[in-house]
Amino acid sequence: MFRLQGSKVLAVDMTGDAVKAKNGSMVAYDGQMAFKKLSGGGEGLRGMVTRRLTGEQMTVMEVKGHGTCWFADRASEINLVGLRGDKLYVEAGNLLATDGGLRTGTTFTGLRGASQGNGLFTTTVEGHGQAAIISDGPAVVLRVSPQYPLIVDPGAYVAHQGDVRQSLQSGVTFRTLLGEGGGEAFQIRFEGDGLVYVQPSERNTIAGDL
Amino acid sequence: MTFREINSKMVEATVLPGQRLFSQRGAMLAYKGDVSFTPNVQGGQGGLMSMLGRRVAGEATALMTVEGSGTVLFGHGGHHVHVIALSGDTLHVEADRLLAFEGTLRQGTMFMGSQGGVMGLVRGQVTGQGLFTTTLQGQGSVAVMAHGGVFEIPVTPQRPVHVDPQAYVAHHGDLRNRLSTALGWRDMVGRGSGEAFQLELSGNGTVYVQASEEKL
Repeated sequence: MFRLQGSKVLAVDMTGDAVKAKNGSMVAYDGQMAFKKLSGGGEGLRGMVTRRLTGEQMTVMEVKGHGTCWFADRASEINLVGLRGDKLYVEAGNLLATDGGLRTGTTFTGLRGASQGNGLFTTTVEGHGQAAIISDGPAVVLRVSPQYPLIVDPGAYVAHQGDVRQSLQSGVTFRTLLGEGGGEAFQIRFEGDGLVYVQPSERNTIAGDL
Repeated sequence: MTFREINSKMVEATVLPGQRLFSQRGAMLAYKGDVSFTPNVQGGQGGLMSMLGRRVAGEATALMTVEGSGTVLFGHGGHHVHVIALSGDTLHVEADRLLAFEGTLRQGTMFMGSQGGVMGLVRGQVTGQGLFTTTLQGQGSVAVMAHGGVFEIPVTPQRPVHVDPQAYVAHHGDLRNRLSTALGWRDMVGRGSGEAFQLELSGNGTVYVQASEEKL
């Protein structure tokens, strides 16, 4: 069971089940806990090759035991996401913890990923259970519906879930090339039906400099 | 209670004539009334010998004495502030985490080796506490700083608590702490889970933990 203690600490009550969490994010626990390192990108040999190739190697640990375990990461805000069979797309660095039963994998994002400033690949979480994602500042959850597409700054994008198509949209004009850009040269456009998590802070991206 | 939390990063202290407060030097943000701030050369209470003790122990932070009548706002470096009330028991905390405390509290230094001998020293090094730690004892309240907010975990004899040494802030009550290691062959080959060392607290009391692995 995931619950938030304040906005920056995640408390997980465990009764013998397992939880996957970012390496080194445990701040305290009571009862009996065992920590074991896992590696992201799927299991087995295929997972290992994927990790090597994609660089999306989230270092994950598996926490197993009886008691309560508290997680936090550099005072970042934590958001709980409930998954009911759908897929959550999130940057590996923004994923704090997932239920042991959820599957994690890696997908190719193409140019969009490069514009976000975090590589060509992203992490997916799939199944039934809860996940905790972290953001710099409290994240807002924005709904995307077929009538209302959503456009997000790549640097402020944290995660999305649901049946959503995304495309990169550029606002590059001759002014940008002259160095007179407004700092919003690229945006990600979300269409379809789902939720997008946006943080009130921007990572450094190529788009932000233009 | 002398200290009142204005928001998560500021406390307001009420100063009355005849009562003293100690605070970290430069931590005053604003004040009302007739309040004087005097640098405290001794770095706290207890006279010359205690001052020497703190100097030697490296637990001497620049403190100032706050006297007069009025209200003072304290805050420092944008860190979260947490007020802990003591009623006769001892609080163990690092000196640089102290924002302000009441003059009624007795300040002292504790040698880490006095709790668990050599292992105590090792523990001090691993947790970054050094060889000495500051203790505050008596009736009164203390404002401590932490990165990212503090939460309390009660410790009972049936329920020992393990804390990440980097996230540990302070503890009070009758607690024994011990460094427990979960070092396995995985850590030797660089496949550790990042949780090799833990501070195990057992007994009766409260431990304060911050939502971050960063030191101040």
